[in-house]
Amino acid sequence: MIRLHHVPFSRSFRVLWMLTEMGLEFEIAAYGIRDGSLRSEAFRAISPAGRVPALEIDGQALFESGAILEYLCETRPEAGLGRAPGAPDRARYLELMSFAETQAALIEQLNMAHVFLRDPAQASPVVTKLNTRRLAVTLATLESRVGAAYLLDTGFSAADVMLGFNLFSAPYFVPLDGYPALSAYRARLEARPAYVAARARDGLQDFYDRDFYPVPEVAP
Amino acid sequence: MIRLHHVPQARSFRILWLMEEMELEFEVRERSFFDKSLRAPEYLQLSPAGRVPALEIDGRVIFESGAITEYLCEREGRFGRSPTEPARVDWLEWLHFGETIGQHLANLTQHHIALREPWMRSETVMRLEAKRLEKALAVVEAGLGAHDWLLAGGFSAVDCVVGYSALLSRRFVRFDDLPRVAGWLARCEARPAYQRAANRDGAPQIYREDFYEPPGG
Repeated sequence: MIRLHHVPFSRSFRVLWMLTEMGLEFEIAAYGIRDGSLRSEAFRAISPAGRVPALEIDGQALFESGAILEYLCETRPEAGLGRAPGAPDRARYLELMSFAETQAALIEQLNMAHVFLRDPAQASPVVTKLNTRRLAVTLATLESRVGAAYLLDTGFSAADVMLGFNLFSAPYFVPLDGYPALSAYRARLEARPAYVAARARDGLQDFYDRDFYPVPEVAP
Repeated sequence: MIRLHHVPQARSFRILWLMEEMELEFEVRERSFFDKSLRAPEYLQLSPAGRVPALEIDGRVIFESGAITEYLCEREGRFGRSPTEPARVDWLEWLHFGETIGQHLANLTQHHIALREPWMRSETVMRLEAKRLEKALAVVEAGLGAHDWLLAGGFSAVDCVVGYSALLSRRFVRFDDLPRVAGWLARCEARPAYQRAANRDGAPQIYREDFYEPPGG
């Protein structure tokens, strides 16, 4: 049995969505970011850094969402969601897979500043402002590159799962209104039956307590 | 001609080192975080987010060091693990985990170096990120086990990717509890290709101190 170790609305949603796109059967072990469950010995044995996602599959345990998505595409090529070595858009595909994490790292920093520090006053407003601007730059980069349907001209791929996931977190910090192509793209992702089915299994996130976190005021 | 857009000491060093391992001929175009060279329109044509590395190769441009690493290994048929090999999973995990470590380094670099005034920094985040970096390195320590390189089967591109991050980590984390990582890094530094890469890296612009102490600790 495939088992996904998952925190609702976290990076592990990428894997949840991907498995659903592939029509694979799997079970979910759910964790909370704040309840200490990620620090248990049992979980550490599966995910050495104590992070989600971790995926038990084919007799082994994998971590890192990018690695898991690549592995799934390579071992289940019939789903057509990867671009194999030598494919014409292989380079673009790999670039988008990595760029998704560049962008997610900025979201992670903003999550920390706005949500996870016990006292938001411990965050640096300068850094929050900077990271918000950097997130906006990555969104602008995508805005100019997203195609009429999906990120690659050859159709939906794991890169859409990897990057598309970000577009549901980024609006907590940067409104998507200024990015019409990305907004339309996000709507296309949301309309996918596998996306809908995956969200139904995602569980409720318990960290964002408002819809938007504005940039704090910067003053010495 | 292969051309690497590079900032001394930045992630692009991974690619510089890997291409030396591959004995490829390439030219290095040095850029800087501290002038406008990454924001220049001609550069944004190459690397739309204004980041290094960017690699001009085979009539295209690729950005993101992880993507370039995979592309080069597939092109050269060396230092990677193909999808049919059992070590592929570990190779992929290390490749991506190298960037997880890299993100902690980026945050520490931002706080210690890019922000010039102390009031701009968050001491909490600086301490937290140093701790998270230490934990990530403990994963490398455990993963090395008894072998010389990250993969039991021998040196590969993930040694360049994770190795770069670990080498830089020495400026933010004490290595007393990381003897295997320290030994592995010494092996990395002893490689002729590493040394050739270090000679082409360019004058340090980012890291001028050997160690950046977390505040209050």
